[in-house]
Amino acid sequence: MKISAQAQRPQAAQRDLGPLFVKTGLVILLVLGIAMVIAGVLGGRTFQASGFDTESGFSYIHSMTGALQTRYQRDIAPALESLDEESRAAVTQKLGEMLAVYWAQTRETEEADARAELEAFLGALPEKDRDQAVCELFDVAFAVDGPRVSSAIKKELAALDAQARASLRQTLLLALTDETVTLPETAQGAVEELEGAEREQMLLQLFLVSAQESNETLPTDLANGMKKAIRNGNARVDAYKSAVAGEVGFIEQFVISNSRTVILLGALLMLDMLLMMVLLGTEHSWRIDVKWIVILAIIDFMLVFQLLPLVYLVVKAFFPEGSFTLETFRRLYTYAMNWSALKNTIIAATATMVLGTLLAFPLAWLVGRTNLYGKKFFRSLFVLTYMVPPYVGAMAWLRLLNPNVGTINTVLRAIFGLTESTGPLNIYSLGGMIWVLTTFYYPYAFITISRAMEKMDPSLEEASRISGASPIKTVMTVTLPMMTPSLIAGALLVFVCAASCYGIPSIIGAPGKVHTVTTRIIEYYGLGTQGLNDATGLAVFLMVMAIIILYVSDFVVAKRQYITVSGKSTRPNIVDLRAWRVPLTCLVSLFAVIVILIPFATILTTSFKVDVGKKLFEPGNFTFGQWTLIFSRSETLECLKNSLIFGGVTATVGIVIACAMSYLLQRTNIRGRKIPDFLITLGSGTPSVVIALGLIMTMKGNFGINIYNTAYIMIVAYLIKYLMMGMRTVVSAMSQIHVSLEECSQISGASWTRTMLKVTGPLIFPSIAAGWFLIFIPSFYELSMTTLLYSNSTKTIGFQLYEYWTYTSQPQSCAMAFGILMIVVLLNFVLNRLTKGEFSI
Amino acid sequence: MSTVTIQGVSKAFGTNTVLREFSEVFKDGEFVTLLGPSGCGKTTMLRIIAGFERPTAGEVYIDDQLVSGAKTFVQPEKRNIGMVFQSYAVWPHMNVFDNVAYPLTIKKTPKATIKEKVDRVLEIVHLSQYAERFPNQLSGGQQQRVALARALVAEPRLLLLDEPLSNLDAKLRESMRFEIKEIQRALGITVVYVTHDQTEAMAMSDRIFLINRGIVQQSGTPDEIYNHPANQFVADFLGKVDFIKGTAEQGSILIKGTQQRIAYDGDKRGAVELAVRPENILFSTENAELSGTIESQYYLGDVNDCRVKLGEQTVRVIADPYTYRQLHIGDTVGMHIRDFIVFDDDGTLEEQLQIKT
Repeated sequence: MKISAQAQRPQAAQRDLGPLFVKTGLVILLVLGIAMVIAGVLGGRTFQASGFDTESGFSYIHSMTGALQTRYQRDIAPALESLDEESRAAVTQKLGEMLAVYWAQTRETEEADARAELEAFLGALPEKDRDQAVCELFDVAFAVDGPRVSSAIKKELAALDAQARASLRQTLLLALTDETVTLPETAQGAVEELEGAEREQMLLQLFLVSAQESNETLPTDLANGMKKAIRNGNARVDAYKSAVAGEVGFIEQFVISNSRTVILLGALLMLDMLLMMVLLGTEHSWRIDVKWIVILAIIDFMLVFQLLPLVYLVVKAFFPEGSFTLETFRRLYTYAMNWSALKNTIIAATATMVLGTLLAFPLAWLVGRTNLYGKKFFRSLFVLTYMVPPYVGAMAWLRLLNPNVGTINTVLRAIFGLTESTGPLNIYSLGGMIWVLTTFYYPYAFITISRAMEKMDPSLEEASRISGASPIKTVMTVTLPMMTPSLIAGALLVFVCAASCYGIPSIIGAPGKVHTVTTRIIEYYGLGTQGLNDATGLAVFLMVMAIIILYVSDFVVAKRQYITVSGKSTRPNIVDLRAWRVPLTCLVSLFAVIVILIPFATILTTSFKVDVGKKLFEPGNFTFGQWTLIFSRSETLECLKNSLIFGGVTATVGIVIACAMSYLLQRTNIRGRKIPDFLITLGSGTPSVVIALGLIMTMKGNFGINIYNTAYIMIVAYLIKYLMMGMRTVVSAMSQIHVSLEECSQISGASWTRTMLKVTGPLIFPSIAAGWFLIFIPSFYELSMTTLLYSNSTKTIGFQLYEYWTYTSQPQSCAMAFGILMIVVLLNFVLNRLTKGEFSI
Repeated sequence: MSTVTIQGVSKAFGTNTVLREFSEVFKDGEFVTLLGPSGCGKTTMLRIIAGFERPTAGEVYIDDQLVSGAKTFVQPEKRNIGMVFQSYAVWPHMNVFDNVAYPLTIKKTPKATIKEKVDRVLEIVHLSQYAERFPNQLSGGQQQRVALARALVAEPRLLLLDEPLSNLDAKLRESMRFEIKEIQRALGITVVYVTHDQTEAMAMSDRIFLINRGIVQQSGTPDEIYNHPANQFVADFLGKVDFIKGTAEQGSILIKGTQQRIAYDGDKRGAVELAVRPENILFSTENAELSGTIESQYYLGDVNDCRVKLGEQTVRVIADPYTYRQLHIGDTVGMHIRDFIVFDDDGTLEEQLQIKT
C-alpha cells in the first residue's frame, strides 16, 4: 500500500500541473499575440511618419521600376529611336509640359512651380536617362488615373499584330509632335471627340496601352501596387524619385511589409487563444486536444483568406480613402450604365429563377415519380449539365442564335421565308442571356428538388390517393406543398448562381451591350484605382444579396423543412401516365435535344470548321486543324497542365479538410466545431467575383501575405468557393455509418488509426472520391475567379478558352470546349467505376 | 358494411413472386388480419386491395364491384377505402383538422357537414382538443390517431391498416390495440389489418391469415390456428413450440434416440414430429410418461424456464417458479405432456422453418 501511494503522488502532481501549464501557456501566447499587434502597429506608424503612405509597398515601387524599365526599353525606346533627334526632343518636351500641367492640377499648385520641380528632378538625372524618366513618369501618372481607355478599345488594340501595333505607336508619337498627322482608324475614332490637352492625354494613354498590350499582359499587379503607393501627386513623385535614386532602404521595406505580417499573426494568435480560453473554460477541462489544433487551423485559414478579404472589401467600399464616405456608392448608382447593369442582373436572375424552377419541378417529378420512358437516362443527362462549364453553353447558343449567321435563325428564316438578313431571334439581348442562364442553371433546382422528392415518404401521397384525390390533385395538395421548402431553396440557389455568373454575361452580354453587375465589376477592375473602388462598391451589392439569400435559404427555409419519417417502404410511388406516357416522353426528349444535344453538337461541329460562317461540309471548310493545334500548341498544354494541377491540389487539400471536418461534426461534440462549418458554408455562398476581388485587395502584401499573381491565390480562391461541395458529401456519408461500427473495431483491439483505415475509410471511400471530384471539376474549368486572379504563368484552360473565344478563333475555342467536356465526362465515368456505380455526377 | 372477394391473386415484381394464388372472401364487418414474417407478401396483398399495386393475375371485388382484374382497374381514389399507413403519413403542412377533413374536402362536402363529421371522428379517437395542432406538435400515438381519424372520416366501406402500431412503444401499442378494436366494433366496419406481431393478431382478429412466402399457410380464428396449426410453420410462428422427432406406431410414438414412448391414438405412421408448447409439459412424478435430465434453468420470477434433455433432443419446459429451488442441473425429472400435435416428418417443411428464423 505504501509503495503504491508513493507511486501515485507524482502522478497526481502531474495531473494537477497539466491544466496549470495549459493555462499559463495560453496566457503567455495571448500576451505575445497582443504584443505582436502593438509592435506591428508601432512599426507601421514609424514608417508612416517617414512620409510615406502606409498603403504603399516598396516592393511594388521597386518591381514597378523594373517593369517600367523593361517596358521602356522594349516598347517605347524603339519607337522613340525611330524618330529623328528633333522629333524626340519635341516628344520629350511635350510630355514634360503635359506632366507639369497634370501635376499642377493634382497638387493644386501653380503650373510654374510644378514645372520647376519637375525640371529640378529631371535635371538631377543624367541627360541620357531623361527621355526614359519622362516616359516612365508618364506611365506612372497616366496609368493610374489618366483618361480611361475603354475595354472595347483595348480589345481592338489587342487584336492588332505586333507590326500594326508598332506602327500605331509610331504614328501616335508622331502625332504628339505634329497634330496634323492622320491617326489609324481605331485611335482616331476613340479620340475624335476630344480636344486639346485631353486629346494629347488620350493619345498618350493609347500609346501606353499599345505598349502594354504588346506585352500581352497588363502588369495589373504592379499597377495595383503603384496605384496605392502613389495615391496623390506628392507621394507619386516622391515614390518615383526614391525608386529612381535607390534611396529605399532594405530595413524600411522590411518594416513596412512585416509590420503587417506581425499585426496579422498577432491578431490571429490573440483570437485563437481567446477562443480556446472561452471554449476550454466552458468545457471545464483544461486539456489540449489535437482536435482543437485542427479546428483552430481551419478557422485561421478561413479567417485570413475568406473573412478578412470580405470584411476588407466592405470597409474599402465605405472608406475608399481612409475616411467614411458614400461617394463611391453615389457615383456608382447614379451612373446610368450601372443602373442598367443592376436592373439586368436582377431581371436576368429573377427570370432564370422562375423559368428554371418551372422547368425543374415538372422534370424532377416526371423523372422521379412517373413511368416516363428512359427516365434513368434523362436523369443522368440533366444532372450531367450541372457539371458543364456555363460559358460552353453560352458559346454554343451564340453560334445557334447569332442574329445574322446563327444556325437556328438561318433555319427559321428559310422556313418562314423571311427576307431580312437578321433575326428573328437575337442572342445578344437580355432575353438571350436569360435563355442561356436558364438552360445552364435549372439543373441546380432539378437536383435539389429531385433529392427532396426521393426523400419524401411515398405513403404521404398514397394517403391522399386513398382519401379520394386524383394523382394531379395529390400533386397539387400534397406533393407540391410538401416540396415548397426545397423548391424555394432550389430557386434561391438558381438566383444566386445566375446573379453571380460571369461566363455567360461576358460572352453574350458584352457584345450586345447588356451589362450585368459581374461584367461591370470586371470592367471596373481593369481601370485603375478609381476602378477598383467602383468594383468594390458593386461587389458589396452582390455580396450583400448573396448573404441575405444564403441566410434565408439556410436558416429560414431549412427550418421549415418538413422532416418526413419514412417507414420501411422507400420505393417511390410511381404514377402511371397512361395515355400521356408517350407524348410526355416525346416532350422531355425534345427538351433534352434542344437544351443539351443541339448546343453540344454545335460546339463539336464548329470545332471542325475553318470559317464559322460556312457550312461544315462545304468544300474546304472541314478541318482537323483546330484539334491538332490545341493538342500541339505548348501554350494550351501549359494551361491544361495548370488547370489539372490547380484542380488536383485544391481537391486534395479540400478533401483532407473535408474529412477532418466530417470527423469533427459527426464523431465529436466538441464545442466550436460549428464555427468552421459556418465559415465554409459562407464561403461557398459568396459570389466568385467577390471572393476573387477580396483576395486581390488583401493578398498582395498589404496584410503581410503576398500570393498575388501566384498559383496559391487561385487555389485558395477555388478552395473557398468549392470546399463545401466536398465537405457535404463526406459528412453525409459519415452520418450514415453508425458509430458502433467504429467502436466495435476498437473493442476488437484495433487502434484509432487502424479503425479509420480498416473500417471507416473503406466505408466512406466512395464519398471521399466523389467529394474529391466535386471539388476538382469546377476548379478545373473555373472562369470568373480566374479572370481576376490569373497571371501570365498561371493561366488556366478555362481562361485560355475564353481568350481564344474573345480574341482569336471561335473554332479553336470550340475544340477546347469540347475537350473540356470530354474530360469532365471521362472523370465522371472514372468516378462511377471507382465507387462501383454508387456515385456519378 | 362490405365484403372483399379475392380470386386467384398473384403478384410478381420482375422474376420475384411475392404472392401466389391468393383466394379468399373477407366477410362484412369482419376483422381480418394478414399475419406473417416480413417479406411474406402480406403488405403487397393489402396494397392490391387498396389499389396501389396491380396484381399480375387474379381479380379483386369489393362488394360486387370488380376493382382489379385483367382489364379493369379502379384507381385507389375511386375505391372508397380508408387506410392507415405504417409511417402514419400525416401531412406535416396541414393541422389535425385539415388532415382529417381532407377526404371530405376532396368530395366537396359542405363546410358545415365537414365540421360536424370531423368533430365527431376526432371525438372517437380522443383528439378533439388537438384539432388546431400541427403534426410536429403531436406524439407518435396522437399522430397515429390522426391517421385513423382521417381513414374513418369519410365512412369508408373498408378500412385497411398497414402495421399501424409498429412504430409505437409497447404500452401505447397495447392501449391502441384495444381502441382500434373498440372503434371497429362500434362502427361495424370491415377491417383488413396487416401485422407481423402475433399477439396483436391474436388479440384483435376475428380471422387470421397466416402467410409465408406468398402462400396462405392457414386461416381461421385465433383459437383455431393456435391450437390446431396446419403445419410446423404455423405452429412455430404462433407462440413457443418445440419439435420432438419420433416414430409413430400403433398406440404410441417412440421418441428418437431414446427407448421412451408416449401414448398416441392417431393414424400417422413412421417418422413424425411432435409439436409441444412449453406450457403443455408438466414436471410430474406420478403420471410421468417421459423422463429427461435438466440441462439448464433460468429463474424469471413468475416462471422457471428450463431446458430438458430428452435423448439427443432438448425441450423447453415452463415450470412453476418454486421448482427452481428443488431442481438442479443434471437432475432426472419426470414429465407429463398435456397436449401435443403430430406432423409427418417429411423434411419438406423444414425449409419453411428456417425462413422464419
